[in-house]
Amino acid sequence: MHPILKDRRTLALYLLAWLAPGLTLATLLATTAKASWSGAMCFSLPAMIVYAFMSLSAWYVCRAFPLPGTDLAKTVSSLFFAALLSSALWLLVCYAWASGLEWMQPGLAPRERYLDSLPLLASFGVGLFLIAAAIHYLIESLESARRTEHNALELQVLARDAELKALRAQIDPHFLFNSLNSISALTSTDATAARTMTLMLADFLRMSMNFGALEMIRLEQEIALARHYLDIEKVRFGNRLVVQTDIGAGTLSARVPPLLLQPLVENAVNHGIAQLPDGGHLLLRTEIDGPSLRLLIRNPVDPQRIKPHGRGMGLNIVRQRLQRMYGSGGNLDVQETGGNFVVVLTVPHQV
Amino acid sequence: MRVIVVDDEDLARGIVREYLAAHPDVQIVGECSNGFDAVKAITELKPDLLFLDIQMPKLNGFEVLDLLDAKPRVIFVTAYDSYAIKAFEVNAVDYLLKPFSRERFEKALLRAAGQAGDEPPDAIDNLIRSTRSLTGPLERILVRDGSRVHVILSPMVDHIEAQDDYVSIHSGGKKYLKLERISEIETALDPKRFVRIHRSHIVNIERLVRLETYAKDSRIVVLKDGTKLPVSRAGYEKLKGLL
Repeated sequence: MHPILKDRRTLALYLLAWLAPGLTLATLLATTAKASWSGAMCFSLPAMIVYAFMSLSAWYVCRAFPLPGTDLAKTVSSLFFAALLSSALWLLVCYAWASGLEWMQPGLAPRERYLDSLPLLASFGVGLFLIAAAIHYLIESLESARRTEHNALELQVLARDAELKALRAQIDPHFLFNSLNSISALTSTDATAARTMTLMLADFLRMSMNFGALEMIRLEQEIALARHYLDIEKVRFGNRLVVQTDIGAGTLSARVPPLLLQPLVENAVNHGIAQLPDGGHLLLRTEIDGPSLRLLIRNPVDPQRIKPHGRGMGLNIVRQRLQRMYGSGGNLDVQETGGNFVVVLTVPHQV
Repeated sequence: MRVIVVDDEDLARGIVREYLAAHPDVQIVGECSNGFDAVKAITELKPDLLFLDIQMPKLNGFEVLDLLDAKPRVIFVTAYDSYAIKAFEVNAVDYLLKPFSRERFEKALLRAAGQAGDEPPDAIDNLIRSTRSLTGPLERILVRDGSRVHVILSPMVDHIEAQDDYVSIHSGGKKYLKLERISEIETALDPKRFVRIHRSHIVNIERLVRLETYAKDSRIVVLKDGTKLPVSRAGYEKLKGLL
């Protein structure tokens, strides 16, 4: 579809722009051909409107000879040929219009005067066609730049989504291999415990793999996953890890994106409890506050610890997912005070 | 052979203990669950061989080794540390990946026993250096005082002075001596925060109050606590670039 004919507003603007050459032509005719002002106007303006439509054909020439990629000489000569052709056709229209005016209103715009102005009309015809072509090229390049940008953005969004999806379903290899090592150690000393640990690990893996494919889950499911994870970590850390949960009324049925809480729980263990010789208490609290669902995780940290390698990576992913899902409606607040690390995740409460 | 097993998980130490039970000639003289205890036990008990986990509370395995004057032979044990494994490969150091089989364990033990009597190879020193460069600028400086370990967070360091083979680290009015060359510690520290202003001085630029010029090439800096340090011509050029 022709870009100018696509909607009425563009077309109206385009025709309005043609008033300028119309008025210029009328002025020139009135002064040089000594025609009356009213006659010059009656002749020029309709003639220009007609030419405005004829010049729309420049778009087809522009499309046939796109600027980058075609031989420039060929493009220029084709444009000139098209300009001459459309100008010649327009001169015929002008002649017919002048004759028509003479017939309708004799004396208003004597035909001969206009025929004297043929060189003026011809140069207007060629010039305006070329200007129209230039404008079409401009529109075309703006459109293609916009298209390229749009496609690039779309690709970026798709890639980011895929990446986030892959990352959230990722199972921490450190956790996995350490758990397998615990099972290996337990097999000779406590076979029952080894089996229990194997089953817990299997449940955890199955749940996190299933969650990866879902859009939303109940908070109850996410908490169950976190509990599985913490139970496994308790086998590894023994009494260094003490878990305390404080589940607020009505929160379990809330709907949340899957695996949003899990990386925060893993961080609390890996960067908090695991770095302390005597471990500590991990608190997980859920509550509803007006329109929001609030999830809090608190764990002690070693103030002298080395900040995790690739610091904040896990938190960044959570932030990006929040932004993607809730815009400004979600929030992740991180604070370290008095040897405690507190992460508060706030999302709209959805049932 | 006298052995110390260092791992923060009971079960992980348990499996090493279980595999070692088949070797009556190997005696476990200590088990440690964190980096501080490990440094203390190794300095006091001087074992022949160390089973060393990488990720531990307080100090990681590399930091433990870095603090030891006499380094025993080491078999690293880790679950998954991509950067550490890369460092092991580069320096041809033996390591066990959790979980490991008895066969793999025996192989590592045999290899370590084969090195008995030899000086520990440079491999460990190179390993420590290469893991340092992989983990980015030094965030904390560790100093051993007998069997005690002091942790000085990098931002808390005021300035560092070279003293023969040692560096003297000044932090909050206290002085800590560490066996290290000043050029080594210079490369490990964050260059945005620490500047080598002189052959024997590194300064934390956040402690600077002013620069005084006495003659063309005679300058000193004054720190917040009033300390005055000489600035060489090259040091002045570096300071100019940063201030």
